Amino acid sequence: MRGHGFLLANYVPGTSLVHRTPLGLKFLLVLACGMGSFLVADWAAAAAGLAVLCGVFLLSGAGVRRLFRAVRPILPVLAVIGLFQWWQLGGPVAARIVLNVLVCVVAAAILTATTQVQSLLDGVASLARPFRRLGADPERFALTIAIMLRSIPFIAGAYADVRDSARARGLDRNPRALVLPVFITTVAFARQTGDALAARGLGEAEDPDP
Amino acid sequence: MSIVLDRAAVRVAVDGRPEPKTLLEPVSLTLTERRIGVIGANGSGKSTLLRMLNGLVAPSSGAVAVSGFDTVRDVRAVRRRVGFVFTDPLSQLVMPTGREDVELSLRRSVRNARERRAQAEAALDRFGLLALADQSIYELSGGERQLVALAAVLAVKPDILVLDEPSTLLDLRNRELLRRTLAGLDQQIILSTHDLDLALDLERLLVVEAGKIVFDGGPAAAVDHYRMLCAAAPADVRGAGVRGADGDTAQP
Repeated sequence: MRGHGFLLANYVPGTSLVHRTPLGLKFLLVLACGMGSFLVADWAAAAAGLAVLCGVFLLSGAGVRRLFRAVRPILPVLAVIGLFQWWQLGGPVAARIVLNVLVCVVAAAILTATTQVQSLLDGVASLARPFRRLGADPERFALTIAIMLRSIPFIAGAYADVRDSARARGLDRNPRALVLPVFITTVAFARQTGDALAARGLGEAEDPDP
Repeated sequence: MSIVLDRAAVRVAVDGRPEPKTLLEPVSLTLTERRIGVIGANGSGKSTLLRMLNGLVAPSSGAVAVSGFDTVRDVRAVRRRVGFVFTDPLSQLVMPTGREDVELSLRRSVRNARERRAQAEAALDRFGLLALADQSIYELSGGERQLVALAAVLAVKPDILVLDEPSTLLDLRNRELLRRTLAGLDQQIILSTHDLDLALDLERLLVVEAGKIVFDGGPAAAVDHYRMLCAAAPADVRGAGVRGADGDTAQP
């Protein structure tokens, strides 16, 4: 199974200013970029925001190649969306939408490239702590994020493997030959992951045990 | 440490079949030896037997107790005492790197992030894996992955280690590495394997065939029995009772 493809940049060890920035600020950056994508109406402003974020990413020392790897998986989708929006609403709107999505992806890549997963999980658990009064388990929130981060590359890898198998059998134009195996593999993966977590006692509610 | 199976059986409902399918016939055992193995053909029920010991599979009838804790009623207490290593470490490793996966194991027990990191590094260092701690698990060899999975399980200091065919995906060099590593552990170990050399190192071997434990005894006699079973036609082995090392036969 291929597991290398990753929508977000993996952690890159370093001591840059971006690495040392408190996790809360980086969370806020991602949040602000997400909100901004709804509010920014000018493609030039979106382009400027993207340029700044790319600069911040490079400042972390993660490199141009990792930056490209972080955005590459969504480029085909953005191309389709961009062309459709251009046809429907014109060039400036299409550019704004595409650039705003890239802003969000690069902001998320900055967070994941400069923050260790365990620190991210600690941050998520801290954010979820106020919900404890409502019966929520912060560790489960954190675990959910961890599983999500793990599942994205797995499913992408499963798709690549199934596509290669379908090609080898001359079935690459048959959607059933692609979709069904990926679906079955994903369900099996979910079950395996559930077993692996259960075996390690992860994801269980916190309570005093004997 | 002791594990007691009291007429524990596993049956599952299968669509289109009026009767549930039996994965494991009722079995009564007390497992106290430090090194115990389970051998048998693919699909014979080895994994089902091992999964019952950690509470991953609940017995349909009977009971399984680990140090007095029932694997259904006290499943959390059982899982804290019984670590489980899967055949494929990629099924088990949840995080992108070894260090992060070991830290994940420790999240429940060690709240302080710095302390957690130190303990994770110590767990990896024990197997000489510290240099690979930040490498993607996909970039590790099969043996290294299996050792990372083992380190992640041992980091929480279980009393008993259950391993489901841990050497099946490994080459000879990595099998030897795993064998040496397991030999040096303090925990009680219960493992299933197709590696008969590894099986011969153990103190007690159970032979499982078609959902039944058909032999329970010393490793040499058990391996001989297993070889005999493999040479026999499948119809000859069904309905066999438990055979002990002394040659007596009894129904489980």
